[in-house]
Amino acid sequence: MFWRLLWKLLRGSGGRLAVAILSLVSCAMVVSALLNLEFDIERKLTQEFRMLGANILVSPSDAQISGSGAAEVMSENEVSAAIAALKEPAVVAASPFLYVVANTEKTPVVVAGTKLEELSKLEPAWKIDGDWKSSRESAASCLVGRNVARQLQLVVGSPLRLTYLNENAQFTVAGIVDAGGAEDNQIFVGLAEAQSLATLPGKISVAQLSVSGTSNSISNYAARLATALPVYEVRPVRQITEAEGDLLSRIRLLIVSMVILILVLTALCVLGTMAALAMERRQDVGLMKALGGSIGRIVTLFMAEVGVLGAAGGFVGAILGVELSRWMGQRVFGTAISSRWEIFPLTIVLMVAVALAGALPLRLLGKVKPAVIFRGE
Amino acid sequence: MFGRLVRESFIRNPRRKLLTAAALVVGMAVATSTLTIALEVGDRLAREFRSLGANLLVTSQSDTLPVEIGGVDYRPVNEGAYLSETDLGKLKTIFWRHNILGFTPFLDVPTLVSGSTVTSTTLIGTWYQHDVPVPDGTKFKTGVSVTHPWWKIRGQWFRDGADEAVIGAALAAKDPDGFAIGKTILVTHAYEADAARTLVITGIASTGDAEDNGILVPLSFAQGYSGHEGQFRQLFISALTKPADTFSERDPLKMTPTEYDRWFCSPYISSIGFQIKTVLPGTDVRTIRRVADTEGNILSRVGTLLWIVTLAALAAAGLAVAATSATTVLERRGEIGVMKALGASNVLVAGIFLAEQLLLAVVGASLGFVVGAVLARGLGASIFGTPASPRLILFPVVLGLAAIVALTGSLIPLRRAAHFNPAPILRGE
Repeated sequence: MFWRLLWKLLRGSGGRLAVAILSLVSCAMVVSALLNLEFDIERKLTQEFRMLGANILVSPSDAQISGSGAAEVMSENEVSAAIAALKEPAVVAASPFLYVVANTEKTPVVVAGTKLEELSKLEPAWKIDGDWKSSRESAASCLVGRNVARQLQLVVGSPLRLTYLNENAQFTVAGIVDAGGAEDNQIFVGLAEAQSLATLPGKISVAQLSVSGTSNSISNYAARLATALPVYEVRPVRQITEAEGDLLSRIRLLIVSMVILILVLTALCVLGTMAALAMERRQDVGLMKALGGSIGRIVTLFMAEVGVLGAAGGFVGAILGVELSRWMGQRVFGTAISSRWEIFPLTIVLMVAVALAGALPLRLLGKVKPAVIFRGE
Repeated sequence: MFGRLVRESFIRNPRRKLLTAAALVVGMAVATSTLTIALEVGDRLAREFRSLGANLLVTSQSDTLPVEIGGVDYRPVNEGAYLSETDLGKLKTIFWRHNILGFTPFLDVPTLVSGSTVTSTTLIGTWYQHDVPVPDGTKFKTGVSVTHPWWKIRGQWFRDGADEAVIGAALAAKDPDGFAIGKTILVTHAYEADAARTLVITGIASTGDAEDNGILVPLSFAQGYSGHEGQFRQLFISALTKPADTFSERDPLKMTPTEYDRWFCSPYISSIGFQIKTVLPGTDVRTIRRVADTEGNILSRVGTLLWIVTLAALAAAGLAVAATSATTVLERRGEIGVMKALGASNVLVAGIFLAEQLLLAVVGASLGFVVGAVLARGLGASIFGTPASPRLILFPVVLGLAAIVALTGSLIPLRRAAHFNPAPILRGE
């Protein structure tokens, strides 16, 4: 009897029910899409911030600085072993650098020896005229900063001879770097080549790390790395970590407040539709009461109806919402937003709760006398 | 007659109208606030991004190659070219002068310093807060307080032009006794021991960068000390810019005159850099790519995201209003039956309903606009620290939106009402 009545009710009211279902489904869709976005936005944004380059530096500690201006160096193996041992997946790039002031034919210039394949990950914002790649493949190629290229009249493909004390090395220019900073005045060669040029095998002057994550997780990682490397100084680059944390929290706040606004609005929308639907059932309530149905039973029946509506709408909407968030991610970030399974039950529960809340005015009808309703008052 | 019918409908059963009106107010309030925020966010966020510091770097075009490792220039003081400080006021005369938020010149001088022991370090001459005379007679206050906001100080910053110094945190840690606040230090050139000058330490700065190993002094002191009066090596500029796009990356020399005007009059970093170059001849203006590209990317992404979210809000608001107006029309089938039985044409019935909806839309949109403006102020204050000012231009937009959703919401049920046969409705079927 209960189920038959429920079935009849669901099939019954035609247009009104269609409106209610439509609003339930579309609201659930927006809710699940926005929740998906909300959960993923921080990860997406921290990835974007990695364009800022290194945010953790490992350098010889103060105690070791002699103050003579001579190169203070660290052991490459020690540093890279410590970074590898921590197995931190958030490390986007870790580049060791060895700086040597070498002589070209005309002028002294800073030569930075580094792992060129890591450099492109460390500094995605650099504009390269030429190629990152060829420098990885051949040890004899190098990248030169824009100012160096201008001063020494180098173009891609030019030969370049570097000398340091008694050592010398021959390179070919593979690319010209436009970084807009001190790097424009440097020449980038492979780490091994720089080490042999400086006769400092296995030594580096600094390691730069680009770690993605919130400012807390970055300083946490820096602290762990510092414990692993007690003799060296590990410090977050303040300019980047501080600004990043601040900007991130502001952008999140912005998105969160917009999402909350929309969630409230959609909930109100469903509430309104459900309330209107419930009020229409006055005649039915009156009839059932006149036939001797108990109020509890009547209300349960209607609650079941809207509950089923809410669950169905939430289910369909959540599926559509995943698609919507995927599209949004593609449109905004170029990569799809990974959907989370928690969103699914969350959306359905939310929709059922809102739908039930909308049906609450029916309770008030329980007090109404059937005769009054039948008279149409 | 028509007017009376509409009026009566409002007076007789105000509760029924309340639901639609409430939906309209809420929907339009959300639409107003999201639109206000979306319109403002680009500007506000761009300003927030200036906490990353400078995005333009100016050096001399004829400079020799700096031999710079870890922020310290190892070139001899007399080598290379310098820029003149007197021209800096001109930066505030370019087309986008209001977008220049700040600029700071730097002059590095290698030196020996005697605290408890003698250490070799770098004197970094700069401005903390300096009044730059602008050609129009005003003064512009700028310095590292604007371009390097992440620098932290314990104690006080040096006064402009005074013989005072701020010690880098790493340097101070090496000699905590000699480099304490209030102590006097002696700086000498390595090659000219008799030209010593004294400085009073006013603070200890932590910058998280190479300056931690140096001594920050007023620019005028570094100039006098190194014998480069009125000169500096590098200028960092922090400018508000619009995210770069394919148009801004094009070579201005290859643009048509109209394109050139559009480029010149847009606050792209490339056009601001170009304008700076024209007022500071002989300089090389470079975009600090890390900062500029990160800012551009994130700004355009957040912008797109926000517009999508705003569209979702508008769609949800529209749907909410349409759904409620549809139900109210459906509820009044009895009334429609009576009207039609008394000989009202479909056009008249539809007219009465649409007029009611329109009236509701105007009232709902006006109220919603006010509520939304208040909401946007609060949101702006909590997100950006300053309230978002309401934009009157949005009022007609919101009004039109309200009218469209209220009318379309009732149009579908009204079309069905046109096919109603009065008799079964009046029988209550």
